[in-house]
Amino acid sequence: MAISVRNLSVDYSLPHGTAHALRDVSLEIQKGELLGLVGESGSGKSTVAFALMGLLANNAKVISGTAKIDGKSFDLTKPNATAALRGRGMAMIFQDPMLSLNPVFTVGTQLCEVLRRRSPGSDRKTRIGMAEDALDKVKLSNPQRRMGQYPHELSGGMRQRVVIAMALLSEPALLIADEPTTALDVTVEAQIMREIIGLRDRIGCAVLLITHSLGLVTEYCDKLSVLYAGERLESGTVNEVQQQPGHPYTRMLFDCEVQIDRERHADASENRFTVIAGELPDTRQRPPGCIFNGRCDVSFADCAVVDPGDYPVGNDTEHSARCLRLETP
Amino acid sequence: MNRSQRTAAFIASRLASVALTIVGATLLLFLMVRLVPGDFTSVMLGPRATPELRAQITHDMGLDRNMIEQLWLFASRAATGNFGEDVVSRRPILDIVLDVIPNTLALAFSALALALIVGIPIGVIAALKPGSWLDSGLALLSISFITTPTLVVSVILFLIFAIGLHWLPVAGAGEPGDIADRLRHLILPSVALALGWVGYISRLVRAALLDTLAELHVRTMRAYGVSEYRIVGLYALKLALVPVVSILGIGLGDLIGSSVVVEIIFARSGIGSLIFNSIAQRNYPVVQACVVFIVAFYIVANLVVDMINALLDPRISGARR
Repeated sequence: MAISVRNLSVDYSLPHGTAHALRDVSLEIQKGELLGLVGESGSGKSTVAFALMGLLANNAKVISGTAKIDGKSFDLTKPNATAALRGRGMAMIFQDPMLSLNPVFTVGTQLCEVLRRRSPGSDRKTRIGMAEDALDKVKLSNPQRRMGQYPHELSGGMRQRVVIAMALLSEPALLIADEPTTALDVTVEAQIMREIIGLRDRIGCAVLLITHSLGLVTEYCDKLSVLYAGERLESGTVNEVQQQPGHPYTRMLFDCEVQIDRERHADASENRFTVIAGELPDTRQRPPGCIFNGRCDVSFADCAVVDPGDYPVGNDTEHSARCLRLETP
Repeated sequence: MNRSQRTAAFIASRLASVALTIVGATLLLFLMVRLVPGDFTSVMLGPRATPELRAQITHDMGLDRNMIEQLWLFASRAATGNFGEDVVSRRPILDIVLDVIPNTLALAFSALALALIVGIPIGVIAALKPGSWLDSGLALLSISFITTPTLVVSVILFLIFAIGLHWLPVAGAGEPGDIADRLRHLILPSVALALGWVGYISRLVRAALLDTLAELHVRTMRAYGVSEYRIVGLYALKLALVPVVSILGIGLGDLIGSSVVVEIIFARSGIGSLIFNSIAQRNYPVVQACVVFIVAFYIVANLVVDMINALLDPRISGARR
């Protein structure tokens, strides 16, 4: 059963006007699939996650959007539309494992709290057994001892495993991982990603991986959606998008990835990273035309006037991009 | 070191600093008490006292020796628990102080307990819906509690419940040995002493809770469907109590200070009224002994506060290895 988000729009009211942080963003993830949602800081990636969970900041408002999870439809504009799914149908892994656990309660208490909701009626002993089992599954050594430890006694990677164990215990249909490895060492990144994949394999849930790292997406994800300033510019399978980026922004993002084996100049100052010049547009007043116009290297006159739609790229029906150059006359 | 060893080391280091603080504070107070103008003999004996009697009393109290000698005598005796004999009543000063201390402790702790029992729930309720009418109303209530002086609260309670309605006894601490009578005598003074603290604690709890509720681990709990009541009343509250308890430790000195006023108005014997009367008589030895006990109480209370915090927050004992 697929999980889908349709036409999600979110506004933030700010001191100097309303930012339209997300505009008509749609996503679809099949069970057992990993969808990578990529974008720069401020593109609205995390807003997608928190709008789904119903945990947006107080100054945020969902203008439109429906979610379909486990066969049920949810109107995201209603506050707490998905509250019943938290810890059951949906689970989340967060960006900063150092701060995402309560410092004055043991790991065991916090894991068992999740189970109070997921398996009501279970006794304490059963819950403790289940929690230990979950810690063991996410490869945290010595689970019995970990249960009695406080978060500050664990490393960042270990704490992230604890949160993954929480997710595992809630057996969700959709797992949202919001930059799960950004705050961690590169050496831990692969391990944490492996645990997330392991969780997916055990439960068969859909995974929404939110990241700014295309490398992570191409390595682990099945599909990819590119978010830019609150709009989805491209979507498709990782293979398709990688081979044939439909949107100039996606192509430029791939160009920015640093190749480990790239040639180096003898003079270090000659070594340049590829960057995309300019910055994200102000989403309080969206200019007409393409949202990427102004930073695009292949734009033409129409780009400043005509709003592009989602056009298919190549022969793959799943692959589309929001660029006027793909419009078939 | 494991956790219990760390906690033990933490407590040991705190105890050492307690001893040092008591010595330092005692020396400072010894000097300050002597800066109060007027002397014991003229206050005590009046203008018509004979020079011989004056000299006798002065000698008995050791006031004819120089300051350093007086200090040495006081400190060396106090260290062995000997605070000398009161010149007025001819009783050992230690006995006088120990007689009244239970009254003051009963007053202070019942007031503190009352303030916590009422103040924490008010703070939690206010933090559940910040900015609501309920929150504003409770803020107004709390701030009026804080700003009304204990003196005024005492007099109002006294007039309404003791004199007007005759519900509760007017004065005293009750018959020794009669627990029910002593408790009835405790009600008005402890309410008077607690009221300001109710306001203070509820504001502290509200502010600390709101800070805590903005932290990311609260979002984790919400994301996993934990009910808002359990989040606020359990997970956030335990963390929010850490700064509240710290501030309470510092405020305990104020509690003893206010108990002076309450004890006088309700004519309770206690360390507050003892100190007040002794200062009025310039009875230095008794004042000194009282102050040593207050300092000791304050420091022990703060030690307890630190231990409570170490229990609430496991990072505290771990961090100060």
